Amino acid sequence: MLVGIDLGTTNSAVALWRDGAPQLVPNALGKELTPSAVSVAKGGQTWVGEAALDRMATHPRDTATSFKRMIGTASTVTLAGTTLTPEDLSAMVLRSLADDVEAATGERPTEAVITVPAYFNERQRRATRRAGEIAGLEVRRLINEPTAAALAFGLADRGDREPFLVFDLGGGTFDVSIVEMFDGIVEVRASAGDNRLGGDDFDEVLVKLVEPILDGRELLESLPADQRRALLNLAAERTRRALSSAEQAEFRIAVGDTPVTATVTTEAFEEAAAGLVKRLRDPVIRALRDCHIDVKTLSDIVLVGGATRMPVVRKALTRMFGRFPNATVHPDHAVALGAAIQAGLLSGGEGLEEIRITDVAPFTLGVGTATRDAHGRFHEDIFAPIIERNTPVPVSRMEQFCTLADNQKQVTFAIYQGEARDVKKNVKLGELTVPVPPRPAGEVAVDVRFTYDTSGLLDVDVSVPANGTSRNLVIVDEEDRRSQKDVTESRKRLDKLKVHPRDEAENVAMMARAERAYEGFTGSAREVIGQGLTDFKGALEKQDPRIIADAREGLGRLIDEIDAHSPL
Amino acid sequence: MSRRRFPWDRLGIDETSDTGAIRKAYANALRATNVDEDIAGYADLRRARDQALWLAAQSQRADEEDSGDLGLGDLGDDHDAEAEDADWLDDDYDDDLWDVGSSAYHPDPFAPAPDPALSEGQERAKAAWQALTGILYPEGAVSDDAVTLAEMEDGLAALDALIARADEADIAEHDALDGALADLFARTWPRSAPFVEPGNAAFHWMGEDGSIEERPALMFLNQRLKGMRFHNKVQQPGHPLHKAWTELSRPGTAGIVDRLKVKRLDVHKLITGIRDRYPELESHLAPERVASWDPKPDAGASSLGPRVVRGIVIMLVIVAVPRMLSQCTETSDDGVNPAIALSDSAVDAKVAEMFGPGMDMKTVTAEDPKLARELLVAVNRPEIVQPVNLLRLKAIGSAEVADRGALEARAELKAIWLTAAQAKSAQTCRMAINGDLRALTLDLDKKDRAREQTLLRQLLAAKVLSHLPKGGETRYSIPGWLVGDTLERSGLSKGRLTAALTDPESADRCKAETALAQAVTAAPKKVPDEVLRGL
Repeated sequence: MLVGIDLGTTNSAVALWRDGAPQLVPNALGKELTPSAVSVAKGGQTWVGEAALDRMATHPRDTATSFKRMIGTASTVTLAGTTLTPEDLSAMVLRSLADDVEAATGERPTEAVITVPAYFNERQRRATRRAGEIAGLEVRRLINEPTAAALAFGLADRGDREPFLVFDLGGGTFDVSIVEMFDGIVEVRASAGDNRLGGDDFDEVLVKLVEPILDGRELLESLPADQRRALLNLAAERTRRALSSAEQAEFRIAVGDTPVTATVTTEAFEEAAAGLVKRLRDPVIRALRDCHIDVKTLSDIVLVGGATRMPVVRKALTRMFGRFPNATVHPDHAVALGAAIQAGLLSGGEGLEEIRITDVAPFTLGVGTATRDAHGRFHEDIFAPIIERNTPVPVSRMEQFCTLADNQKQVTFAIYQGEARDVKKNVKLGELTVPVPPRPAGEVAVDVRFTYDTSGLLDVDVSVPANGTSRNLVIVDEEDRRSQKDVTESRKRLDKLKVHPRDEAENVAMMARAERAYEGFTGSAREVIGQGLTDFKGALEKQDPRIIADAREGLGRLIDEIDAHSPL
Repeated sequence: MSRRRFPWDRLGIDETSDTGAIRKAYANALRATNVDEDIAGYADLRRARDQALWLAAQSQRADEEDSGDLGLGDLGDDHDAEAEDADWLDDDYDDDLWDVGSSAYHPDPFAPAPDPALSEGQERAKAAWQALTGILYPEGAVSDDAVTLAEMEDGLAALDALIARADEADIAEHDALDGALADLFARTWPRSAPFVEPGNAAFHWMGEDGSIEERPALMFLNQRLKGMRFHNKVQQPGHPLHKAWTELSRPGTAGIVDRLKVKRLDVHKLITGIRDRYPELESHLAPERVASWDPKPDAGASSLGPRVVRGIVIMLVIVAVPRMLSQCTETSDDGVNPAIALSDSAVDAKVAEMFGPGMDMKTVTAEDPKLARELLVAVNRPEIVQPVNLLRLKAIGSAEVADRGALEARAELKAIWLTAAQAKSAQTCRMAINGDLRALTLDLDKKDRAREQTLLRQLLAAKVLSHLPKGGETRYSIPGWLVGDTLERSGLSKGRLTAALTDPESADRCKAETALAQAVTAAPKKVPDEVLRGL
């Protein structure tokens, strides 16, 4: 079975193409969104999703969130003694989503369409694909998030649409795509973005804003750095949400029995976030410039991603486009629904016969070369683009290069992705060496063909027609060379971790939630929650599903009530 | 039915200006294509659609013009095609950007859309724009004078108002203001200097620095910005080149004591670095002091890089000789100058020595009378310049007018001379590199000598030897394979090769230049014209 997965920075979701429409699959807790969070305890006990997120406050050192921001880099996290790569962590989320699908349909998904930010580079895409493989899913296609959202938006009524703009500000990444739809053809005209800008950055700004004005911050400073960080980030996210509907909000952390608080006004937050808001403008301008479309002729501005709910972002958008954005698509669901549509397209789903989608390459791809300037100095590492950004994909382009020296035995190409003239400022994707017949300099031509596929993955073929033979090589990347072995090793590593049985998921999540609430409140509220926790543990020991369910519901109501009437 | 041609055959429809039909045909064709399997077919289909839409737009425009009854007919079409072509160019590109004198005022960003109902914010911005341009173009013209303190304050206030407008404006207006301000500042540099940093803070101009698509105005401004930042930093005592900067800023020439206090290398680095990257900063230095440190006194306080100094040397030598010669010739025409004493046969012998057996003054005159006249003087007055050296100078200077064949011959000559000079002495090699072949004796072996004669004959036949070079700066870039070959031939490491070509004092320079000339000669067909010309 083929599923569509939105693997987000903050939340992930899975959807299917069924009965001629995309449908979200709820998780064990009955929710459509599963937080992209993983928590591990000593002994290998593992939590994924809601429960893991709740453990963030109590066990920050053993819990990982926002790992999508690290994907494609060499960094790792160690949770309770287990070292995990960002791919491993993503794979755990993917696995839990696959479990949800299996529970809902009785069939284990084997293939997936996974969404990635349009501005994800080659490395990040390859890492995402690897995460899918670790999770036991064959990744049939990587699809750009704004493209997926555009599909969900465009297919809502299937009418023709003049170019519209998808503004996708997620937890960790920002994408802009300009898309048009005609006669069932969804065509992405241009994409631009910033893969290091998202809701998390707004949280960080908020933390920086309140840290110096926190009442009782000495107490906070007595905590270990990682716990302090986790508490601040969690509180920041809560406060940011609260600020979406109020002029001011309380930033509140409980340290032991003492609350540490500060009041944040919308105005102060907006001022602090002005720098981030400005960074939203550049990708929009770049995308519009690249496809020669005037902002005034855009038929719609489609908002995607949880961070677009922030009033500060909405305000900036209204100013930028001189109109109110369209809020008809669900900002958290559109991407997963679009992924399911793509899955439907790939599997010949009913009702999609007329639909086709075309996308573009968001980056320029090329090789490094050397030149000499007027003063006779050599300039090496000059970027020679082969595929320019915003070229429709799939695309295949060939360039010819010649040998440098007499009797040269091999030619080495460094392959880069980016927009800088100096290749050192671009992302190096790998190096490729090909043997050539020894001849005088310049007599051996080497053809380099770049093929960029619809998933945004690059294939480099090098052939030497000079001696009649031609050899084709695939890009040799340090990561690639390891990848197959890696996938197997990662799987083994993850298999050692014990995930709670699915039917226990609700209890696990409730425990984590109650523990977090216990840490988060003080005084009498804490006592009440402590009592509730003890009762719940007692009910669990009785192993009677009915008693457990009653106790769980009771505890849930209790915490809801305390949350709603927070004494602070 | 007539046979269709591209793009209509690819789309499977007859020629039409109905864009809906074109898009529909494209949609159908796309559905019939498996783009993942048939990448070339997909590219072809896209091209067909884009071309068809473009043709449709063309004919629509032509129709509109016809209905407007301008009576231009085909002329109108031509005009349209040009306008359309221009649309494909980068809108930001401006040919006149560097031609600051030609247009005093940059087009007002509010002018293209003379909206009678400008909003209040736009009105304010318009006034601010006028205030700012008024300050940057005093009396309506470009000025090199710095702004006064009062002008700067007014200008900054106007700029603030424009930035505030950009922040509240929609993205199109923001973009227009961004482009207009960048353009304005580039045109009015250096008067615009105090406004560039605030402009960058608002529009992140430096963010585009070094990108493939950096706008021309920003390419200029960002370089100036870096210059200003460097200027600020180098004035801080902690900066590695601070001492060198202080030394070079002091009036007078550098004495022995001064030379002990500062590292020669640092001073050199600073002078070359500034000339190379931030030539505008040289005006902050004391010219006399710079000249006293400068390794090439004849270069003076030139604001050009070290390699261009070489260019100037070439120019002086070449210009000087013909001037002297023409004076000589004039006097001889008057019959006053007794210097022309050699018999025709002696002259012919000299000519044969230069161009090879079988050549004489008559053949040279037939090919190039102007050169023959100059040669005649040189043969008679070898104390001014040896005839063969005159020819070599002329050959070097021929690059400006030479065609491909002559350029290749010239490159080969240069390789022969440099190789010989390198074998002789470092001093000879340096002179040869600098193009100073006036007084150089090169010991060419028989084979090289014969080759030189052949090549000179080739240049003579191309009639490029009598050209009076203008000199000046040329820009060219060297392809990677040539770089690699040069590395191989010189046996230098990449770092040393770069240094050798950057630093005129480098010990490796001779080796590097010779290797480059040899590398070019080894495969002249592949070398781009610009490289041959600049060699």
